[in-house]
Amino acid sequence: MASDPKGSQLRRILLIFFSLSIILPLSSPSPTMHNNNWAVLVCTSRFWFNYRHMANTLSLYRTVKRLGIPDERIILMLADDMACNARNNYPAQVFNNENHQLNLYGDNVEVDYRGYEVTVENFLRVLTGRHEASVPRSKRLLSDEGSHILLYMTGHGGNEFLKFQDTEELQSHDLADAVKQMKEKNRFKELLIMVDTCQAATLFSQLQSPGVVAIGSSMKGENSYSHHLDPDVGVSVVDRFTFYTLAFFERLDMYSNASLNSLFTSYDPTLLMSTAYYRTDLYERPLNMVPVTNFFGSVMKTIPTDSAYPGFLVAHASEYATISAETETARVVLEDEADHSKTYDQSEKGLQHILDEWLKLLEGKLGVKDPEVLVAYGLGSMVLLLTISTWLSS
Amino acid sequence: MGLFEKPKSIWSILNSRPITFYTSSFPLEKVGSSFFHGERFTSRPLTGEGAMASHTFLSLLLFYFYTFHLVHPIHCSVGSNAFDTTSAPQEEFSEELLLKPLPDYKVLAHFHFTSTSPPSSSNGQHHHLFPKSIAQLVKKYKIRELELSFTQGRWNYDRWGASDPLSTANGKPPGVELWALFDIPTKEEIDATWRNLTHSLSGLFCASINFLESSTSYSAPLWGFLPNNGDLRYGALPREAVCTENITPWLKLLPCRDKAGIASLLDRPSIYRGHYHSQRLKLRSDGLNGIVIEQTLSVVLQPIDRTSWSMHQLFKKSLMGKCALAKSSKVFLEIERSLVSQNENILELVGEADMVTNDQRDHSTIYQYNVERYSEHEALDIRVNWKKLLQVSFLQTPLHASRFLMGSGNERGSIAISLQSARNSTKGLYDNSKNCFTRVVIFQVVPWYVKVYYHTLRIYVDGAIRDAKDVVEKINVTPSEDKVSPGTLEMMLQFPCGMMSAALTLDFDKGFLHIDEYPPDANQGFDIPSALVSFPDFISRRIYPDSISSPLLQSYKGRNIVKSYTEVLLVPLTTPDFSMPYNVITFTCTVLALYFGSMVNVLRRRVSEEERLAKSKDKRKPGLIPLLISKISNKVRGIKEDSANQSQSSQPILGPKVVFKVVLIALIAVLGHYFFNSS
Repeated sequence: MASDPKGSQLRRILLIFFSLSIILPLSSPSPTMHNNNWAVLVCTSRFWFNYRHMANTLSLYRTVKRLGIPDERIILMLADDMACNARNNYPAQVFNNENHQLNLYGDNVEVDYRGYEVTVENFLRVLTGRHEASVPRSKRLLSDEGSHILLYMTGHGGNEFLKFQDTEELQSHDLADAVKQMKEKNRFKELLIMVDTCQAATLFSQLQSPGVVAIGSSMKGENSYSHHLDPDVGVSVVDRFTFYTLAFFERLDMYSNASLNSLFTSYDPTLLMSTAYYRTDLYERPLNMVPVTNFFGSVMKTIPTDSAYPGFLVAHASEYATISAETETARVVLEDEADHSKTYDQSEKGLQHILDEWLKLLEGKLGVKDPEVLVAYGLGSMVLLLTISTWLSS
Repeated sequence: MGLFEKPKSIWSILNSRPITFYTSSFPLEKVGSSFFHGERFTSRPLTGEGAMASHTFLSLLLFYFYTFHLVHPIHCSVGSNAFDTTSAPQEEFSEELLLKPLPDYKVLAHFHFTSTSPPSSSNGQHHHLFPKSIAQLVKKYKIRELELSFTQGRWNYDRWGASDPLSTANGKPPGVELWALFDIPTKEEIDATWRNLTHSLSGLFCASINFLESSTSYSAPLWGFLPNNGDLRYGALPREAVCTENITPWLKLLPCRDKAGIASLLDRPSIYRGHYHSQRLKLRSDGLNGIVIEQTLSVVLQPIDRTSWSMHQLFKKSLMGKCALAKSSKVFLEIERSLVSQNENILELVGEADMVTNDQRDHSTIYQYNVERYSEHEALDIRVNWKKLLQVSFLQTPLHASRFLMGSGNERGSIAISLQSARNSTKGLYDNSKNCFTRVVIFQVVPWYVKVYYHTLRIYVDGAIRDAKDVVEKINVTPSEDKVSPGTLEMMLQFPCGMMSAALTLDFDKGFLHIDEYPPDANQGFDIPSALVSFPDFISRRIYPDSISSPLLQSYKGRNIVKSYTEVLLVPLTTPDFSMPYNVITFTCTVLALYFGSMVNVLRRRVSEEERLAKSKDKRKPGLIPLLISKISNKVRGIKEDSANQSQSSQPILGPKVVFKVVLIALIAVLGHYFFNSS
């Protein structure tokens, strides 16, 4: 029992040494601009009675398309065919409301993964970008370090898992690992994960990559409920969380200024019959400064260039020129970005400063160029630290 | 409803405007389109005082264009087919729709779109009408011929006809069927290409065609499906869903999409409500003709009013003019002879056709309507009234084929194919002379988990069992290999002409799948793809006079062998109950623990020994008085002693003394090292 604090002390010291050595080669994070948007929309449920999950996903699909993300940048995964299902009274149509005013299946749906293809494996492959060579471009998430990705998932879930097709589970660890891998591969700049399932909050518990915001429909121990039943279709057509999300988005268009914070505060637990959960500790920007269209839409900038095939310099110059002529929101966001990178620099400079001082001190004390002596001194100081630590812990 | 779609569809927004010339593919290819603005003005009605001014402007532009045309013929060859008639073959597009009243008061609507691309030697060819993605596919995978069909429902051979060209070409098995002929020499290369092709097509058509990639799902028939030199690959996915997302990319291959022309009739809810729905893409490529793609869509619709229907009622949309890029745009109404050959016409047509012709053998009548004549103000609407309701049937196949399963249980069963003669259809076949034979080819692919024993083949002719040698003319069997390849059966049979019925049976065992190989809905059963039964002696063809230039009617002239697909079989396999293993494990563990524990007790436990031990322990126990004394003393000293004991006992091995010793040794070592080095 008594050895534990001692051991932790030791570990702490070692950690300090280790972290110091790591910080040195760390390059400053390159503040890449947000330049494209992607959406991965997943319905994980099979069978007719899960109609509402497909309607959820298709509603989001419609919304992000309406707000400007093109089809080629949407990966749509639908685990079953509801639109042309034999039980569907309205062939080739899917509704998310009993008033039947909006056919979500329209004339222009492009489903990238469907039926048996919607598996945990394929989902993780899409996220991490590890496909077989022959997989076509339309089935790949070709995002880069400037991408904002919206990941929407709906289905049946439980504590730290989400069921796929009633046979497999995606665990919170799997999701966190995939996101971590994406971060390391520079596959996104910012990622918004939105999950509509029972106990959705638990799915985010393992996430640890920076730049990730997560919204879940319910806390641990809570269920997410469907909104209403359509007597003509015969099943529930939409879930509560998605219904109110859509209600929020229906008021917006591509150029709206609503922030993520206003989306998060729009959820009313009494209407939802569950508590919406947000995980924002991994996200640096203040949520009230981030427009929802940063994730749910794609507001493209036009960058005029001098020639048809510009060199890098030309592109950069004109980029800054257009930024000044940006819309209000974009400017706010950009300023915020700049602020953030500044603070990052400062903290890093502080650390480097301490390290420099320490090294200088050591050099001055020794004053000798012989490396052997330096090593001996190093050992000496280590032993000293060791004794101090043991003395402290006893 | 989305404002923004894939880049191609931005073009579709443009398509709806009255621009006459634009390219079919990416905007980058739209070289020289600015020159066509002159032409664009001509297509607009000019009104009022601006008319004169624009006429002069137009003539100036045209003059400019012509001079430009002479100077820079390269530019003009891209994108124009109105001016450039002098140069060699052009890319062409034609659209057709054939309506056919069926005897059960349903209507067959057959959309037929043909695009051709002349042969080219260069790799990076520009296309203005031909879909670029298909051209790239053909080039990359060296495809000679390919057919991909998405079908929902089953073609009703009994009622809707079986031996006319339309039904032999368009009756397709449910789900997805894909076959391709490659221009590649080695078998391995063909297999690799096939795998890549399935992935490409799955990306193009939003379907899980990539499941045909695995060697367990495709086969290489030699003559049962189509005679070839081993360069054919065939695969079918009977359970693939067919819906809007499949037709969207298919329509994007058309130059006008569904924004103009005949394709604008395709209202999704109406066509998916139909009883049968088959969407096809067939392409042929050779050095002589270049690439030809036929995109067809056959739908069998049920009119709301059985006795009278019109195009507008069927599709809930009106046909307002042709696709401006189409070379020809025609609507046909085909009426089978059997519907009108009665004493009186049972059908009445409303609307005036441009041309009426019969085929050579007088099987049917074709009414032709040129869509060019119609516009937004006067939409084309063909109306058909049934004057009398009666049951007639169309031309049948010589033998009606059906396939079913026999046996019960999850262990074994047998597949039966039954052939029933349809006496009324073809009379020449039924003379009872001994030298008359009908040939029937059966082609069937069975997945490996249905382990067919081909030696159990039994053939019954008119109820009596027959020796296989007498009936089978040619047979080619590729037995299945577990988890590697499916079993393929190609068989040519010879039946006497007077035969009434025949049946074939094959026994099989049901295999076990690995737990990962079960689909999520394994309890639904497993589908065995349709078998193909073809009759090589019978050819469905209809020859119409050459005065009608139509790719659709041209395809009627081909030597199409009469064939029909059988039903898909649903085989229930033993499905694992995934909760069962857990039950079994816990139950057996409990039983084992109980059994093992008691056995060990019985074998190892020595009761007498234990008793002796207990006694000796009792002996060693201190007496009552010392025990009391110790208890009292404990109480007096309190818990102190206990706690001291505890703290002593919980002293770690790595105490400060030990650590001090280690440090001391380390210090001595360092000092020693330093002194030795410095001295």
